Amino acid sequence: MAKSLFEEKLNSGKFIVTAEVGPQKGVDCSEMIHHIKLLKDKVDALNVTDHQSSVMRFPSLGGCLLVKELGGEPILQVTCRDRNRLALEADLLLAYSRGICNVLCLTGDSVDVGDHKEAKPVFDLDSVQLLRMIRTLESGKDMGGNDLKGAPQFCIGASVHPAADRIEPQLVKFEKKVAAGAQFFQTQGIYELDSLRRFMQYASQFDVKILAGIIVMASARMAQYMNENVPGVIVPQSVIDELASAEKGKGLQKGIEIAVRTIKAIKEQNLCHGVHIMAVGRESVVPEIIEAAGL
Amino acid sequence: MPASNFPVSRKASFDDSLMPPCQIACPLHMEIGEYVDLIAQGRVMEALQVIRSGNPFPAICAYVCTHPCEDTCRRGQVDHPIAIRALKRFAIEFGGDRMIQEEARTTYSEKVAVVGSGPAGLAAAYYLRKLGYPVTIFEAHSALGGMLRVGIPQYRLPREVLDIEVQRLTQMGVEIRTNTRVVSLDLLFELGYKAVFITVGAHQGLRLGIEGEESPGVVDGATFLREVNLGFQPSVGTSVAAVGGGNVAIDAARTALRLGAKEVKILYRRTRAEMPADPAEIEQALEEGVEICFLVAPIKITRENKRLRVTCIRFELGETDASGRPRPVPIQGSEFDMEFDTLITAIGQAPRIPEDFHLRIGKGSTIQVDPVTLLTNRPGVFAGGDAVTGPATVTQALAAGRQAAQRIDEYLRHKYPLPQKEKPPIAKDLLPKTIEVIRKAHRLEPERLAPQERVQGFRPIELIYDWQSAVDEARRCLRCGMGAEILFQDRCATCLNCLRVCPYHVPYLDENGTIQIPADQCQACGICVAECPAQAIVLRKPRDRRYIDEELHHVFSTAKQSGFRPLIVSFACQYGLFGTGTLSGLWKEAQASISIVPVLCVATVEPEHILRAFEMGAEGVFVAGCGEQCAREDTHFWVRQRVEKVRRALGQMGLEPERIQAFNVRVKEEDPVQRLHQFTEQIGQLYLAAVLAQEVKM
Amino acid sequence: MIVAEQKPLEEIQRMIAPYEKVLILGCGTCMTVCGAGGEREVSFLHSALRLAQARTGSNTHQFSEYTVKRQCDPEFMALIADRAREVDAILSLGCGIGVQVAAEHFPDTPVLPGVNTSFMGTITELGVWDERCAACGDCRLAETAGICPITRCTKGILNGPCAGTKNGKCEANKDIDCAWILIYERLERLGQLEKMRRYYPPRNFRTIPRPRRLVNLVKADMEEGNG
Repeated sequence: MAKSLFEEKLNSGKFIVTAEVGPQKGVDCSEMIHHIKLLKDKVDALNVTDHQSSVMRFPSLGGCLLVKELGGEPILQVTCRDRNRLALEADLLLAYSRGICNVLCLTGDSVDVGDHKEAKPVFDLDSVQLLRMIRTLESGKDMGGNDLKGAPQFCIGASVHPAADRIEPQLVKFEKKVAAGAQFFQTQGIYELDSLRRFMQYASQFDVKILAGIIVMASARMAQYMNENVPGVIVPQSVIDELASAEKGKGLQKGIEIAVRTIKAIKEQNLCHGVHIMAVGRESVVPEIIEAAGL
Repeated sequence: MPASNFPVSRKASFDDSLMPPCQIACPLHMEIGEYVDLIAQGRVMEALQVIRSGNPFPAICAYVCTHPCEDTCRRGQVDHPIAIRALKRFAIEFGGDRMIQEEARTTYSEKVAVVGSGPAGLAAAYYLRKLGYPVTIFEAHSALGGMLRVGIPQYRLPREVLDIEVQRLTQMGVEIRTNTRVVSLDLLFELGYKAVFITVGAHQGLRLGIEGEESPGVVDGATFLREVNLGFQPSVGTSVAAVGGGNVAIDAARTALRLGAKEVKILYRRTRAEMPADPAEIEQALEEGVEICFLVAPIKITRENKRLRVTCIRFELGETDASGRPRPVPIQGSEFDMEFDTLITAIGQAPRIPEDFHLRIGKGSTIQVDPVTLLTNRPGVFAGGDAVTGPATVTQALAAGRQAAQRIDEYLRHKYPLPQKEKPPIAKDLLPKTIEVIRKAHRLEPERLAPQERVQGFRPIELIYDWQSAVDEARRCLRCGMGAEILFQDRCATCLNCLRVCPYHVPYLDENGTIQIPADQCQACGICVAECPAQAIVLRKPRDRRYIDEELHHVFSTAKQSGFRPLIVSFACQYGLFGTGTLSGLWKEAQASISIVPVLCVATVEPEHILRAFEMGAEGVFVAGCGEQCAREDTHFWVRQRVEKVRRALGQMGLEPERIQAFNVRVKEEDPVQRLHQFTEQIGQLYLAAVLAQEVKM
Repeated sequence: MIVAEQKPLEEIQRMIAPYEKVLILGCGTCMTVCGAGGEREVSFLHSALRLAQARTGSNTHQFSEYTVKRQCDPEFMALIADRAREVDAILSLGCGIGVQVAAEHFPDTPVLPGVNTSFMGTITELGVWDERCAACGDCRLAETAGICPITRCTKGILNGPCAGTKNGKCEANKDIDCAWILIYERLERLGQLEKMRRYYPPRNFRTIPRPRRLVNLVKADMEEGNG
């Protein structure tokens, strides 16, 4: 029996589409609710980010509860930056109890890139250890070796960076994540297909699903800024140039165009198992992309 | 005023510098480094004082010294040795040596006789007189000087220089008996002399030992030079040969040129590399037109038609002999003839000691003495100079005279003759890595007369430096022996800062993990002194030099005595425009409020020194280096580090960081006078503002 | 070596404000080496405090200075007992350990920290110190090719690099090398990449219940064969 609806879809062989919503800073959830409503039926699952870029926001768990309440399939993003193992375990128990059964396990961005630079970085666990910890919970034990009264079951995933400038150490870690039980991977942003193709040639030996990360750029300036300031983002110069070639005020349109083109190519060439669309604050354009890409 | 925090546990007068190679090479062990350094600072009169304290007749040495110091000078390993003798001459001329009067008082009754008035005799008389003894000089010739007067040509030593030095002996009360040949030592003792110093020189020319040597037209070098120097004008004809390779042969040849000979040859049986004569003298002789025939010596002389037919033979160099030089081997059948009007033999000289002196004579007809006490076989009779050593240099003779004076004093005062304590020497060789970093600078030579002018007469050849050339030449000195030392080993945390900051890569970790700063490689820049966080390193201090702290206190206390308050203190390179006072005339109106603390190098100025200047009342401080003249590239870098550190501290206590400035004078784009004006104006305004603020508060 | 930097002058002035006689106490070991509190810094601070006082025209404080070989051993504190008795406060330029050892040794004298103790590290170039050890008490340098991921990875993670590494640098600071790239390269060079492929479980933070204590002495009553 599948652990979640999403897991069922993963195993169905269809081309998977996921997207993400970023919670707001504050308690007014109306925009996020709007985005969830907009996307929940157009995607196979919806990620909710966990203080992305170490900027404090409404929590991922809260966002996932909303997704669930609104009838969507949530993927809980969990980072190791802010909680030690006790807190992580407890949050996961809560998530499961509320029907949130998909978890994306991440190390988390450095505190230094966010808006609480003086906070204590926790990193009690890393992403590999987090994956293993979830499998431990599923076995009915916590990390202290104590019995659980009722064990959760999760469909778990992790991230991978096929376009990293030093790919070999990333692959070492990828294999560790696979060994730890990761079922699916949502990759860092993909802009050109060569690196993805090479990565898939290698990754196809493992029984995991790879969803190519698609970041929607709104302008060349944004691309450049992300290149310099957002961990894990490497936008090739050709893409920046293409964005810059757009008419004034049409940057986002160009970004959408690029995203659609990339997704289409991935799907046509059957490069990987699906895509994960990250609109970074412009969630409203995602339906347009999905439609244009023929998903 | 707060007491100095500087960890000085030594007396200010303590001299812990090491003996540099130049000083070791000098027979008189003159403090060459010290006076060269003073010249570099433009303190020429003080340089002269140092020179005179180590040499009784420095003016003579300034002309005729063979400067063994320059041969060992470590600057020669970098580019060229320092022109020490020329610098000494500069100090003599510019320091006012002629004005110096010597004085002496008689404190002892024991009379001392000095037999012979060459450099050894003159020096012995000088020092004995200084010690308080009544001294009589006996001289066979009509004037004092020995070889200085009868041996050395006037173009090498002007006679007025000699006369002035001799005159000083008279001033000091030395009794002088010229035209008096001593024939019996017993007589001297009968006359009441308690000690006798025999220094009759080596005036007897050695013979070639060949056929025809007695012919008219053949003369030995010593006799020839004596005749010329005593005012005779011997006729030498148009072609002259001098036989030998020493200074006498060169002197004879060049003198012959000046007497009108048109063609002068030197015959020498080895090659130029083996010539004992001073290379510079050889060079000058060649410039003047003397021809040197190497690997040639006469074997027979015949006189024909009032000319000399000289049969010569050629040589080749064989194995090394006892003197360390290759032995010349005659080539059979290579005989050939040359014709000359005059042949001067100059293959060596020996003393001639009257038998009636009853002195024990040794090898080469020299007087045998105890090497430490200089005593002969007769009680109370001492000997020294060429008469003991055979022909040697003027400086060696002066050293012998000085030693004799000391030994005679010990003899007369019944003291045990102890060897003198000397400073430890430093090693001779610089490491390649050290040499590499030292900024290269060519030796500046004083100008010389053109060869064609020289041979017209007996005028001195070498001219005197101009001021700037002398200072620039003196600045090339590497200050050997004044380097850094870890004075407080117990404080050293072995942090390795010294190793890291040294521009010359001198400090190293020994196999025990202890940091060593080898004195023989250290270039005394002082950067490590100022960068040591444990304040464990000091520069070795030659006499009379103050540490920066002491100098700072000195500046403030003298200012206080003269009743003015230094508003601006400058730590200035002692060689730079500010440190030497070269700039003083340019800022008259500012002068009254500026005090200069001269420092060895501005890289030695520590942040604490600057803070302390403020604490003592300064309103502004500037650090002024010597710019492009600095021996190092990175001095300004270190100055900036320290200035910035103090600026931060000033800023934190609410004082304007602009109160401290670093001037990099002599950098082209920086006009020192203008910068100084700006700075004094700025400080003046800050001071005024502070005073006004104070009054408003009151 | 322990690395520290001197506190700003204003902070030091505020700390010493209530005290008339202040002993500035330097440390001759790490604080000397890192340039935060050796003889030179003691005398510089001394001069600066005196000057600051003179410029304000007040004469509140009397300063004295002394530098001991090491502040982290009580025996050295015994050497300055007389000096300590004469002052109202000690301004220690020792690391945090030195300050506390002084405080323990002189129960009646306030001891103030003159430096901010930063980390344990090494000099990497003149005037630049870099952290190298976090004193985690569970050294795993054997597995990481002699490069500490706990200290040198901003996240201290154990199973390889995060995705934030770019050009071999850390996402948190572009001037700092990514420890995991360094580890990977060095393991590759040593032919030991299998060490990186291994899974490393979460750290055992029980090795550092604070404050930590290390006992390296057999107590008499634990000895065998007493009878």
